[in-house]
Amino acid sequence: MTRKWLRWLPAVAVPAVIAAGALAGSLPASAGDPLPPKTPEQVLQLIAQHSEPALSGTLEQSSELGLPELPKTGPGTDSSSTAWLELLTGPHTARVYRDGPDHARIQVMDQLAERNAVRNGNDVWFYNSKDNTASHVQLPADAGRAHNSGKDATATPDQLAAMFLAKIDPSTDVTVGADVQVAGRPAYNLVLTPKSDATLVSSIAVAVDGQTGLPLGVEVKARGQADPAFRVAYTSLTLAAPDASVFAFSPPPGATVKEIPVPEHKHGTDSEKGTPPAKDSARKPAVTGSGWDAVVEFPAGTQKPTSDAAAPLQQLTVPVRGGRLLSTALVNVLMLDDGRIFAGSVPVERLQAAAAQK
Amino acid sequence: MLCALAAIPILIAVAVRVSSAVPAGRGPAFLDRITQNGLFVGVTAMVVSVPLFLPLTVGVVAGDTIAGEAGQGTLRYLLVAPAGRVRLLLIKYAGAALFVVVAPLVVALVGAGIGAALFPVGPVTLLSGDTIGTGEAMVRLLLIAAYLAVSLLGLSAIGLFISTLTDVPVGAMAATVVLSVVAQVLDALPQLEWLHPWLFSHYWLDFGDLLRQPLSWDSFAANAVLQAGYVAVFGALAYGRFITKDVLS
Repeated sequence: MTRKWLRWLPAVAVPAVIAAGALAGSLPASAGDPLPPKTPEQVLQLIAQHSEPALSGTLEQSSELGLPELPKTGPGTDSSSTAWLELLTGPHTARVYRDGPDHARIQVMDQLAERNAVRNGNDVWFYNSKDNTASHVQLPADAGRAHNSGKDATATPDQLAAMFLAKIDPSTDVTVGADVQVAGRPAYNLVLTPKSDATLVSSIAVAVDGQTGLPLGVEVKARGQADPAFRVAYTSLTLAAPDASVFAFSPPPGATVKEIPVPEHKHGTDSEKGTPPAKDSARKPAVTGSGWDAVVEFPAGTQKPTSDAAAPLQQLTVPVRGGRLLSTALVNVLMLDDGRIFAGSVPVERLQAAAAQK
Repeated sequence: MLCALAAIPILIAVAVRVSSAVPAGRGPAFLDRITQNGLFVGVTAMVVSVPLFLPLTVGVVAGDTIAGEAGQGTLRYLLVAPAGRVRLLLIKYAGAALFVVVAPLVVALVGAGIGAALFPVGPVTLLSGDTIGTGEAMVRLLLIAAYLAVSLLGLSAIGLFISTLTDVPVGAMAATVVLSVVAQVLDALPQLEWLHPWLFSHYWLDFGDLLRQPLSWDSFAANAVLQAGYVAVFGALAYGRFITKDVLS
């Protein structure tokens, strides 16, 4: 009888070995050489002096914003107005190549499809394999590095880190946490914590490469949520110039090519997700409060949702007193029936209070 | 069965040939590229056959391995020979694995052949927008076939194990195919995200990574590790079951 049971031994041993392997793999890798301790100021300085190294790496981005995951197929998924929404829901993987300020390529890898943004000198190409369309922007010769990233691409950790670090003011506590390992590299963990209790943001952690000062990952945590609300980090990174052929792009035969005129304003990358530039000063968004719990008010008429953006907006928002609410883990947007829009990373009650004051 | 698989690319090519142009972004991936380049018939046929047709045929072959012999009453006679049960099991699995290698290859090569016959063949546009020559495109096509062969090894090991459980070959075949469908349904549910990397069908459609420039081996490696795990687990289970089984038929 025991002999018979012995025969089943491999069937028990193999899953046990696999389970042990999986457990060992999921444990955090022990840091090889601990980084010399640094104060938050020194880490900030390290970031400030980092040069833009040539690199190729893989980025992974995931969001738990509380938005429903959009269907990946079906009508409406190709329209550009929902493309950025799609980037905010669900996980994404992208490959990043960079060599100097004017050679860059980002490939957002979807299943059986890919979105590309390539900058080679003053030529910028966007290519979407799903509908085989390419668009081309010819930058003026003196263009700065602001056009570095594509409108369609995910932001790299250093762009995001620069955005958050620019916001450091007395309302933020800056500390250095325990060292972390990102893409196999030891990194300082710079943690920004809002002092205010009224904001939805619980903390922002920036992983800063101990050697080069390059931000390797950004993690935004929301109050009352264990998983990070938004996370982008390198999963692999090579600090060496990628092959020059990576940046050479010419539209494939048969693709629809569109020529896009150069946008007038220089900070073109911000306009896609943030606020559209107000036409005249009377319609400028008004900001109530300062720091993390600030509430931004857009007067009526500045934001008109286009008809193809209206349908997903209708699905994402819920009716509340006086209008509709777009609620995410990090930001609440209150769209009043009279056209005014209040936004801020604060609870909805605060938005309603701000709306009632006016 | 290989003929049935070969019919898929032929049907696709003929359908695209006799119908009007496919608008971009509609239908299965790459369908709109076929009229420009016949080699895409092979890729499209593989995209179409991965979710059902390939698992179906693999399920039939793997489910038939042991249960088929038992059902016909020939398993006893095979075991009378002094070859041993382990050897019989290994040879049966090797047969199933051979089918797993040949099946995607047939789809790819018949697709490329019929595509070349009905449509122009030229430089191939990759997902990244770069173009490569016909020779390299054939290499990529064979790589995809290899990727699918690796992908289906896990399923054939599951089929082998189920086949040792029963004397009714149809039951083993059906159970294997149903498992492959169940795994794909589970893979589509976002609520079960923690489970997804463990499903044998998780990487089945990620062969698009082989159509990028520079070529990405990440999913190939992850897939190979996962399938090796499935082969090890279900191979061990099949061993345990088949060695201890009382063979009556």
